Amino acid sequence: MIRIEDLSVAFGGTEVVRHVNLELQDGEILGIVGESGSGKSVTALTLMGLVSETARVTTGRILFDNVALREAGVPFDSALYRKYRGVEMSMVFQEPQTSLNPTQKAGRQVEEVLRLHTKLTKEEIRAKVLEAFRAVGLQEAERVYDSYPHQLSGGMRQRVMIAMAVILHPRLIVADEPTTALDVTIQNQIVELLRGINREQKNAMLFITHDLHLARRLCHRVAVMKDGCVVETGTAEEVFDHPGQAYTRRLVEAVPSRMKGKAAAGRNAGGLSAAEAGCRNAEAAEERGGSSQVPVLKVENLSVYYQDGKDNQSAEQAEGGSGKKRSLRDRIFRKKGQCVVWNADFEIYPGESLGLVGESGCGKTSLSKAILGINRHIEGEIVHNSVRPQMVFQDPYSSLNPTKTIGWLLQEPLRAAGALDHSLAMSKSDREAAAYDMLRRVGMDERYFHRRPSELSGGQRQRVSIAQALITNPGFIIADEPVSALDVTIQAQIMELFLKLQEEMRLACLFISHDINVVYRMCDRIMVMKEGHIIEIGKTEEVFGQPREDYTKLLLCGA
Amino acid sequence: MKKRNGKRWNKYLYAGVVMTGIAVLLGVAGFFWTPYSTTAMSASEKFSGPSLRHLFGTDNFGRDIFSRVMQGLGTTMVISSLVVLFSGMAGILLGAVTGYFGGILDEAVMRITDALNGFPSILLTLVVISLLGSGRQNVIIAMSLVFTPSFIRIVRGEFIRLRDADYIRRARMMGVGKFRILFIHILPNIFSVFWVSVMIGFNNAILAESGMSYLGIGVQPPDASLGNMLSDAQGYLQSAPWCALAPGLTIVWLVLGFSLFSEGIRRQGDLA
Repeated sequence: MIRIEDLSVAFGGTEVVRHVNLELQDGEILGIVGESGSGKSVTALTLMGLVSETARVTTGRILFDNVALREAGVPFDSALYRKYRGVEMSMVFQEPQTSLNPTQKAGRQVEEVLRLHTKLTKEEIRAKVLEAFRAVGLQEAERVYDSYPHQLSGGMRQRVMIAMAVILHPRLIVADEPTTALDVTIQNQIVELLRGINREQKNAMLFITHDLHLARRLCHRVAVMKDGCVVETGTAEEVFDHPGQAYTRRLVEAVPSRMKGKAAAGRNAGGLSAAEAGCRNAEAAEERGGSSQVPVLKVENLSVYYQDGKDNQSAEQAEGGSGKKRSLRDRIFRKKGQCVVWNADFEIYPGESLGLVGESGCGKTSLSKAILGINRHIEGEIVHNSVRPQMVFQDPYSSLNPTKTIGWLLQEPLRAAGALDHSLAMSKSDREAAAYDMLRRVGMDERYFHRRPSELSGGQRQRVSIAQALITNPGFIIADEPVSALDVTIQAQIMELFLKLQEEMRLACLFISHDINVVYRMCDRIMVMKEGHIIEIGKTEEVFGQPREDYTKLLLCGA
Repeated sequence: MKKRNGKRWNKYLYAGVVMTGIAVLLGVAGFFWTPYSTTAMSASEKFSGPSLRHLFGTDNFGRDIFSRVMQGLGTTMVISSLVVLFSGMAGILLGAVTGYFGGILDEAVMRITDALNGFPSILLTLVVISLLGSGRQNVIIAMSLVFTPSFIRIVRGEFIRLRDADYIRRARMMGVGKFRILFIHILPNIFSVFWVSVMIGFNNAILAESGMSYLGIGVQPPDASLGNMLSDAQGYLQSAPWCALAPGLTIVWLVLGFSLFSEGIRRQGDLA
């Protein structure tokens, strides 16, 4: 049905898509996987005729039922595209927050498609939209119809987007990372929904993702892209189980997976051997058993409150619900807010990493802030046995000060430590030496010392972040989704680095992630959080092997 | 063509540098040397038109207008620079503290700036001048007071934006001192935004100073300033238009040149 022949797209002088050949039959789901910058989105946008004006098709053409939508050397025909877009092909975007107009009600935005392309009456249109809403699993279709986007959750918004895309039963749906911005369990539902639509309406689907697990589960065939070229195509099983190309193999190996097992993955990447990993686990278990070992962090009965300023009443209720007694002193001195973490109870031992998984809004970040002392609206006890816990953030682009050099950034923690405690003060040359040393340990060349963050790639920035967190040898760090913003292959390198440094520095780590596979790879023990409660905590293998809670099972099958 | 950072200057920057450069040169020179004394009167040369002898002509007392424009330029630029310097520094200090810490202090300072913004600025300067008396020094004080609120707002907004940036949170976790965070970690990051407001502030200061001198509450005669020259000349607009045109066009030249200069810098920065 769709044939992309020898397509090349260039922005200015640089080709971002090079001689791509793809074919898509009716009713087929084709996945395009690849890292960021591999040209997968540009390919899709060119197909949809939505790529920006500055892009030129330099070779090849796009055929829709043997009609050339786009051809090299022929100017963009917007009238032709208008006939196809909406009716024959439609698109679902990644960001449900920005792809709906915030000033219009959801129902109205979906109606627009029908008003443009059909001659139905108002009542018919409304009925059809409501029907579409129900079809995409929106329970209260009427309410959603009259809601503004900000009144809907991310998952609901994405369902509205999908309703908009499928309402005219187009023959082709292009979905550009439709689940990336969503939580794991919601992600599952959306994937199931897309699969269901594909089964019922028999439309072809072009599914763009960087998540290989997802591609494998959903797609019939998969195309792997790298640097603008399609390096491999085939059925999902072929490509992932028997990758023909070195690049595909690298990509597949880089993905943390429970199937491959933890030790195996470690060995593949040249990290810990199976024996070592086993040792470490045993050691950690022993340490936990014997009382000789002092935990670096001990959290007892910790509740964290979200300070809302004036919202005392609801806080009262929330506290009443928890059934906890509070001392008079607490009543007087502590300001109240909404409780976001309930009675957390756990310990972290030296050299151990504890994984914290849960969906967004479950209280992961609140818990970490409380541990770091940023949020003081807490109740319960936090005992630190480390000097000054540090944190590695998710977004490598905002966690380094853009006006400083890497060398300056690495020395700053030492300067700060010296200013606080004069016994730790170091001379300038000592500091520089320490910074150079740390730079080497995170696997970066010395010449980056005088560079600024803007000259570094995402992975390199994350390395610098880690170096900055570890340079004072804090003994305990919190890593908040440290690899989520990175490409799979970079992700694998950073995880490797983490494991290596943990081994070298006997570093304890609270590792927060929504990606259960990453946690599996990284952590000795894991902790599952839901709605502010820690519902399960245990050794990684045990939790994954025999999850006790239904919610944990749900999370696991999502991955 | 001149080059900077290996890049060619854009047209705005080029024109701006030339125009501002000429004005600054004349102004600075005016402090040390003028073709004629700015106060020397000559009854025989009253209202003589522009000529080689008197480039911009002479005024009602027979004083050389070109010399007076040179002196006026210098005065205007010094006053404007000092006003921007003082109000900019006050803006950084107050904006940083209020933006970063928030709370009662923030509330108080913001209400005061609201109150200052509530009055027309010329009225406010009039009040200050009437309290302190006229004179160069008091003009600077009055104008600094009027200009500070806008700087506070800009700096405060930027500090609020950056105070929860990841890298600032990390700095706090490292135990970096509060004032080090304010002025070493955050301040360099707001420079580009602040620079634009300084440029705009400087232009406004030039206009405000001229306006005040025009109204007679700024620089006092016999000292020359572009504003009071304009006001003196308005009686002879019909008979000797050059008396008004010379200082008027000089103000236009200065403000236009500086606007071009700041626009040029901004565009040059965007390219980087």
